[in-house]
Amino acid sequence: MIVLFALVPWLPGEFWTHVGTEILIFGLFAMSFNLLYGYMGQISFGHAAFFGIGAYATAMLFTALKTSAGDIGVAEFLLSLLAGPPVAAAAALFIGFFCVRLTGIYFAMLTLAFGEMLFYIVFSWYSFTKGDDGIQGLLPPAFFQDSDNFYYFTLAIVILALFVMWRITESPFGLTLRTLRDNQRRAAFLGTNVKAHMLANFVIAGTFAGLAGALWGPFSRSVNPGLLGWGESGIAVFMTLIGGAGAFIGPIVGSVIYTMLQAVVKMYTIYWPLTIGSVILVIVLFAPGGILGIVERRLRAARPEGGTNGGDPVAGAGETESRQ
Amino acid sequence: MNRNILEVTGLEKHFGGVHVTRNVHFSMEEGEQSAIIGPNGAGKSTFMNLLTGFHRPDGGKVVFAGRDITGLPPHKVARCGISRAFQVSSIFARMTVVENVRAAVHAQMRATFRLFAPARAIGAEETERVLALCAMEDKRELTAGELAQGDKKRLELAIALAGKPRLLFLDEPTAGMSIEEARSTMELVDRLNRELKLTVLFTEHDMEIVFNHARTLTLLHRGEIIVQGTPAEVRSNETAQKVYLGEHHA
Repeated sequence: MIVLFALVPWLPGEFWTHVGTEILIFGLFAMSFNLLYGYMGQISFGHAAFFGIGAYATAMLFTALKTSAGDIGVAEFLLSLLAGPPVAAAAALFIGFFCVRLTGIYFAMLTLAFGEMLFYIVFSWYSFTKGDDGIQGLLPPAFFQDSDNFYYFTLAIVILALFVMWRITESPFGLTLRTLRDNQRRAAFLGTNVKAHMLANFVIAGTFAGLAGALWGPFSRSVNPGLLGWGESGIAVFMTLIGGAGAFIGPIVGSVIYTMLQAVVKMYTIYWPLTIGSVILVIVLFAPGGILGIVERRLRAARPEGGTNGGDPVAGAGETESRQ
Repeated sequence: MNRNILEVTGLEKHFGGVHVTRNVHFSMEEGEQSAIIGPNGAGKSTFMNLLTGFHRPDGGKVVFAGRDITGLPPHKVARCGISRAFQVSSIFARMTVVENVRAAVHAQMRATFRLFAPARAIGAEETERVLALCAMEDKRELTAGELAQGDKKRLELAIALAGKPRLLFLDEPTAGMSIEEARSTMELVDRLNRELKLTVLFTEHDMEIVFNHARTLTLLHRGEIIVQGTPAEVRSNETAQKVYLGEHHA
């Protein structure tokens, strides 16, 4: 898969390189969402808040560091990227403090409420965030203006981030998250501090979302309040459902499908929402484990000794899939 | 010379207007194997929930191994060395058998905040010990939610044993089991008690199991202790005959 990603810039024209960068950034964002959904069993409809906060933190520092001519040095550029994750983490710590007190639909609604609150604050606080104008002119240093170079830079960061995430999901912490997904009460009776682990994971997920957001600003040359909105949160949910929440790489597979489909469909029609709506409909009804859920079931069926089935939406496929 | 590992004094609990636990005094010596019996609604489950932190007592005190644990949340009670298994098997359904046990071991080792170490390398020895103890090695890679009922209950017991607890509460350990499964489960419980010196407190509806496997009995009725003593003492108690045993041994 990494090899395939490395080959993208060889495709003719810049278009697919741009699509590839978008796949990576949103793939990372969706992967961070799945730490909450696939591993901890809680769905967030406000995860874009951390993506957006990461994007704004980077954009603001970027703007402060660039010269009056609009240029920015490489060191300053990298420094501005580093601002995204910690600011997003701080926001996740604050918001998570309230959200982890709840589970299920109440958790989902509270994340949505906080997400929309933050969207509204960014949208209306002109003096600080430039409101609905957004922040423009995030032109990276010359080297990173080349779309191939920026693509490889993004690829390197995303691979590194996914490696760290993979280690986390395979650790005692990751295993404990899955016990919280399956049975919180039992986990507590075994000695697990449920809320503390939920909060830690919420902050980790927010940090990686912030990293994705930090990359987004210089890529699209601008940020706007819409990045924090629930529509953006929905993209992470869609990508995860399409790819499969039960597999470690599910969300990034979902991002490949979602983003490429979007790029192609938008070339020909204005009916993108209708298209993605239909795709989600089919996935939810006929392949609740996502694309990788289908693949996994096929693999198990092919192996005679594969005793257990994999039909469950968020079936515990994380381990087998992620060790490939 | 034994000392009391568990000391409960004047325990009280109300749910709304219902007085479900009334002035319960209870103690267990280290290494004891004891049963709580009583009709449905007698307050057996509530009593266990009060001892393990699931409910907060309205009054009274719970002291475990010299430490006041009254009102501690479940995860802190568990870390003191008190473990419990549930009547309806409460396991991690989407994880494999070995992952269930491993996670329980990690929780007891307080290793759950280790972010980068590989999970399978942590507490591997203890995980294997528990699997072997409960004879579940051959089922290790099966998904817990897809096990047969009896195996689910066995796994339920296995994760309660992770990390060598000192006191084990078993809520209806043989409920839903075949006679054969029930027998082997209770043999295991006896062995844990005898060989590993684990203090065991269980509730059970099957009087044959109770009289065969508990050395002391406590009869609860409407939240109160009616009688406490050896099986023979409880059997010969008149009130016990009237409120509970009568319906089983009529």
